[in-house]
Amino acid sequence: MIYRAFLVVLFLVIAIGGGAWSVWLVLDKAPLFGRLTSGPWEAFPVAGTPEADPYSRARHVRTGGLALGPSEGIVLTARTDSSGENLRRHCTYRIEGTMPSARLWTLYVTDADGNALPRSRQKRSATHSGMIVFDANNRFSISVSPHPVPGNWIAVEGNGRMQVVLTLFDTPIAAASQLSDLILPTITEAGCDA
Amino acid sequence: MLRLFHTCVLGLIGAGIVHLAILFMLPGYSVRDAWTQVSTVADYYEPVRLEGSNTLPAPEDPFLDAVACRFNLEDGMLSVRSQGDVPFWTMAIYDERGLNTFSISDRVSNGSFLDAVVLTPIQMQRLKADETAETDQALFLETNVIEGFVLVRAFVPDETWQPRVSAFLDSVQCEALESR
Repeated sequence: MIYRAFLVVLFLVIAIGGGAWSVWLVLDKAPLFGRLTSGPWEAFPVAGTPEADPYSRARHVRTGGLALGPSEGIVLTARTDSSGENLRRHCTYRIEGTMPSARLWTLYVTDADGNALPRSRQKRSATHSGMIVFDANNRFSISVSPHPVPGNWIAVEGNGRMQVVLTLFDTPIAAASQLSDLILPTITEAGCDA
Repeated sequence: MLRLFHTCVLGLIGAGIVHLAILFMLPGYSVRDAWTQVSTVADYYEPVRLEGSNTLPAPEDPFLDAVACRFNLEDGMLSVRSQGDVPFWTMAIYDERGLNTFSISDRVSNGSFLDAVVLTPIQMQRLKADETAETDQALFLETNVIEGFVLVRAFVPDETWQPRVSAFLDSVQCEALESR
């Protein structure tokens, strides 16, 4: 009798506990499905739309974000530089190259969890296509650095890891199924504070 | 021993069922999704600016401002209008789970002003059949979303643009048009 009760309890613990734990594990810990990558940049174009898989949908609903639609734009995030090293806030990086065709684009830095860094009054941790100085070949170089840099500069403060978020608005690549053909800017480290 | 093994196998099958049940029920019961959060502060057809407060979902991009407006197409077609001259705006229709189901950018508009009508396919058919209906300059956006919200985003290149963009977003009017 006691053995039977034990079996019933064991069944419930495995079923309910295991089911809930596995959902939590997939939604909180596992990487999202539907990821497109190109160099250090990654994008989740269908996340937050009805086309997303049930796991991405559940995760999106839990975090409560407002996803961009394909006619609006696409968000590309870099957690590492082009050589695969994590981006850190006390280092200087150069983001160089050309952008895919888009009506406009914005670039900002966030902490490791994707929260925009606090902006101080004089310097914003962000820039966009209308602010950037391009060279004669329509290329650009943006420095992400804790110290002032001549030219295009994004200021960062503090320590710890960061992410660079590039949003391309009104662009044909938002409907693309792969990013690998695209030429996106490279991210190169140019020294770190001791 | 065999019964113990049997129970474990049944438990794992049960865990799979619980896993799927939670996964598919989660969107309906979540309180953190954008729709629920907008619903707590704004009534239907009441435009609300999404700014970096703790309760409302706001655009993460520092150069974007947004205004949201809840609708229910059972009340009739939804008209969304706004006036002003801003460098770039987009409009998206989100369903009651906070998923982006349809979006447009100002490229499809006749000017930088916004004049759109959101309606269901049935309302669209009725409108087409009705020859007296005024189909002026508005964009007609067909959707299967009955209840949801529209989100108008506008690009703020720098602080000097802030008043103009704010005026554009504050002028967003959304109202239910009487269905015939």
